[in-house]
Amino acid sequence: MLRRIPALIRPRPFSGLPLSSGNWDVSVAVCVPPTARSGTGRTENNIQRHFGTGSCIYSKKDSQSVPANEISQKTAETQGDREETQKKNLLDILKDMKVELSTVNVQTTKPRGKRPSAGLQAAVSRHRRAPEDPPKNRNEFLSSELVAAASAVADSLPWDKQTTKSELLRQLQQHEEETRTQKDREKSKISFRHIISEMKIARSPSARVSTRPQHQIQFDEEMDNSSLHLEKPSDFKQRKCLFKGKRLGIFDIKAFADEAPETEASPSLWEIEFAKQLATVNEQPLGNGFEEMIQWTKEGKLWEFPVNNEAGFDDDGSEFHDHIFLDKHLEGFPKQGPIRIFMELVTSGLSKNPYLSVKQKVDHIEWFRNYFNEKQDILKENKVEFT
Amino acid sequence: MAAAVSARWLRFRGGPAFLQTARRAGVGEAKLCCRFYPGSASLPKVEGTNATGIEEIVIPKKKTWDKVAVLQALASTVNRDPTAVPYVFQDDPYLIPTSAMESRSFLLAKKSGENAAKFIVNSHPKYFQKDVAEPHIPCLMPESLEPQIEEVSEAALKERIRLRRVKASVDLFDQLLQAGTTVSLETTNSLLDLLCYYGDQEPPADCPYRQTEHAENLEEATETNVQTSKMKTIPWKAQNNAERIFALIPEKNARSYCTMIQGMVKHRAYAQALNLYTELLNNRLHADVYTFNALIEAKMLIASEKFEEKWNNILDLLKHMVAQKVKPNLQTFNAVLKCLRKFYMHGRLPALQTLREMKYLGIEPSLATYHHIIHLFYHRGSSLKTSSLIIYDIMNELEGRKFSPRDLDDDKFFQLAMNVCSSLRDLELAYRIHHLLNTGDNRKLIGGDLQRNFYYSKFFSLICSMEQIDVTLKWYKDLIPSVFFPHSQALIDLLQALDVSNRLEMVPQIWKDSKEYGHTFRANLREEILMLLARDKHPPELQVAFADCAADIKSTYESQDALQTAHDWPANTLQYIAVLFLRGGRTQEAWKMLALFKKHNKIPRNELLEEFMDTAKASDSPALAIEVVKLASAFSLPVCENLAQRVMMDFTVNPEQKEALGNLTISNSSSDGDSSSDSDIGEDKRER
Repeated sequence: MLRRIPALIRPRPFSGLPLSSGNWDVSVAVCVPPTARSGTGRTENNIQRHFGTGSCIYSKKDSQSVPANEISQKTAETQGDREETQKKNLLDILKDMKVELSTVNVQTTKPRGKRPSAGLQAAVSRHRRAPEDPPKNRNEFLSSELVAAASAVADSLPWDKQTTKSELLRQLQQHEEETRTQKDREKSKISFRHIISEMKIARSPSARVSTRPQHQIQFDEEMDNSSLHLEKPSDFKQRKCLFKGKRLGIFDIKAFADEAPETEASPSLWEIEFAKQLATVNEQPLGNGFEEMIQWTKEGKLWEFPVNNEAGFDDDGSEFHDHIFLDKHLEGFPKQGPIRIFMELVTSGLSKNPYLSVKQKVDHIEWFRNYFNEKQDILKENKVEFT
Repeated sequence: MAAAVSARWLRFRGGPAFLQTARRAGVGEAKLCCRFYPGSASLPKVEGTNATGIEEIVIPKKKTWDKVAVLQALASTVNRDPTAVPYVFQDDPYLIPTSAMESRSFLLAKKSGENAAKFIVNSHPKYFQKDVAEPHIPCLMPESLEPQIEEVSEAALKERIRLRRVKASVDLFDQLLQAGTTVSLETTNSLLDLLCYYGDQEPPADCPYRQTEHAENLEEATETNVQTSKMKTIPWKAQNNAERIFALIPEKNARSYCTMIQGMVKHRAYAQALNLYTELLNNRLHADVYTFNALIEAKMLIASEKFEEKWNNILDLLKHMVAQKVKPNLQTFNAVLKCLRKFYMHGRLPALQTLREMKYLGIEPSLATYHHIIHLFYHRGSSLKTSSLIIYDIMNELEGRKFSPRDLDDDKFFQLAMNVCSSLRDLELAYRIHHLLNTGDNRKLIGGDLQRNFYYSKFFSLICSMEQIDVTLKWYKDLIPSVFFPHSQALIDLLQALDVSNRLEMVPQIWKDSKEYGHTFRANLREEILMLLARDKHPPELQVAFADCAADIKSTYESQDALQTAHDWPANTLQYIAVLFLRGGRTQEAWKMLALFKKHNKIPRNELLEEFMDTAKASDSPALAIEVVKLASAFSLPVCENLAQRVMMDFTVNPEQKEALGNLTISNSSSDGDSSSDSDIGEDKRER
């Protein structure tokens, strides 16, 4: 049970909760080091195991231990220099530990502000005694103490005791399994030395500790795992923890992968109005004359840039060469002779006309083609070649 | 290459060359054709320029510009000019706003003028038919708001729906039904859209500037505004036209249900919306993503449920989305986060999980997402010690990014982030946020007038309290008044910063500015200024300037006197002004101040009288000194005796004056009992 204690202490400083230098905390910190050091590598496994449940029990203990903290506040002043050595001890312990990020207990189903009952007290006292026990059950699936603790917690809660207990135990087993599987994997290690060195031990716990809902602690456990590096805003370049960690796990990206983009009919009133509202979100007073001109352009009050002679002239996207090089439409006309010369003059004239669209120009040429076709007889009479 | 060069050369030859080559182009001199392309030097390689004859000419595509691209490029070169008024205002000294109130009313005036003109044009279209613009400008012409189709037909119904005539469309629908015509499902659905969106009421006239009250406490104001605007929507009435028409549809499809659900949620009929959703499920139809978003909102706002219950309900809805193969969008997750905001502490972990889910699905969070998360983690009530560091995370993520609006709450991020900075007292973070605001077009997302003012006031007061005075003054010059008009509290912060760094000589200037910004009659500001001016002694030339400032402030009190009959001068003010006059060498006016003390029933403090004595001594005038003593005895002050003794010692008094002094002290001591009670009353009054 000893291994649990460091894990229990841990959430406090990081959550910004003033660490009371109250008696039990300190005494625990003092009595821990020898065994903890002996634990070395193998204890780490167990630390992870108890980590999640710790928070939930701990939070109860927290609210309960407030009076003691308040009393001890007076003595806290004199303990200043002792604290220094304790801090060092703590640092040594924690240096030897690694903490898993993902073993977080997500139990948000506890009512707030529950008074800790006698059963819990008992459980808690058992936990406090725990450090004296030698670490022997380390490889068991779930230690007997844990089972006892779980039943104690279950006793303290108003619901069906049996289910609560089994729920708790199941949760614990889950953690056990998780740790086992994850042990082999690459672990994300947190430099505790760094954290501790950044951490301040606040002296006076205020009265608000008692009003603090227990969920906060559970939450902080999660949060602080992700924001540990953040103690100092300067070294956050290397992290992106905001998006690391558990997600809701409801949606599956594959389900939407094959989905074709919806064939959108005309937008409904809802969508139109939403777009309108969205447009007002970044509506700001105009900053300068150009912005005003942009607005006017959008409203259609201003000639569109670049200003040229095509304003308001919609020509199905045909380009200037379509307008100017009309010779390609002269196929079928004779290669020489008066008709050719005439048609070249026509195309030259058309190519300089900015008012007609390409289609109109082509139609114009086609008109002449038809015209000459109709007048074949006269042309032949006058020995003018056509075709 | 040769072709390109020759082409370039030819280009400068002008008109005749053009004609000639244009004619010859068709004949086969293909390589010359390229010469008229803009920038022909950079043409793609014209292949086979050697005289092989016929070859393919690749004509480059014309480069099309967005019609505003040029203007946008130009606009991006213009920086804000801190010495000029914002562009929206008329550049006329009379029309340049000098206070937040004025700027607001000027903007409103401008906007309402536009609206009035539009209203006139639209309500009398027959007088505005002359189209002077060439090419035609549609937005200058009256809009046709009257339905054109008179007969009873589905086309007429469609037109009325398009024109958003709620009542007319319902009437027409009924007429069609009575005539036995069946209206197509699509038209009925769009009619339902109309009815549900506006809650079976005629759409309100557009009011672009929402009327928001001017409030000192801005955040509360905006929050409540959101609330009230929500409250203002017309409540859903049971058995309204929407429900009636909905019931009339024989074959309802998913869209009919969806629009009904959205309408019910919009008009606060949450329970009905949820019931309708159950009905939709029973009919084996699928809802769309907008409906789910609305349903999430409904779940959040439905009353009397516990956290777990609500959260599980929302998770259920999300699972329904998976089951119905509905892809969630940004609004879905923002709705979830907004919902989690109601749960305070409990919402934090789910909120982070939601954020990760978004990331997993590849939905880029918008500023609104971060706004909700910050709101959740930095609740107003929670104290500093428990504050989390998530804002640093978020800023890390956001830094250097450019945003465009994607959610309706996107404009709330910056003010909240700045508020958190100011509660964290982290100036560096504030600078980062400000930098983010000025990245790209992000500044457009700062929100309305109120939010901008809030953001900048928080930013400025943070600077005032944490930054060196020179930098602070630089910011002061930069931000005020071209970006915002400060509250009196911001100015007091600045004054305190000046005090801390011992730059009190700036104070008269600040007073001048604050008068300009409409804080002339702010009692706390005036008192703060006077206090700072009068607290210490300064070199004479500075004292003269201070005395001028004091005279100015005094005149504001006097003008206030003229306006309000029952106006009261605080004793401190009188005291400070008198002291400043004395130090500034305006003895005459200082004496007049003493008369004011009497008039307003205030008691001058001992230090002031001592100060008067000092000046009397400096000018070596026993008469003045005796005046002081007289005054003290008139107020029946206990200090009177000391003063009299001091006069005896310090001045050469003639016997007559000595006798007068003696009388004064005797009369004072004889009426001691009274005087103490008198002064008590006086004290009381001063306290008030």
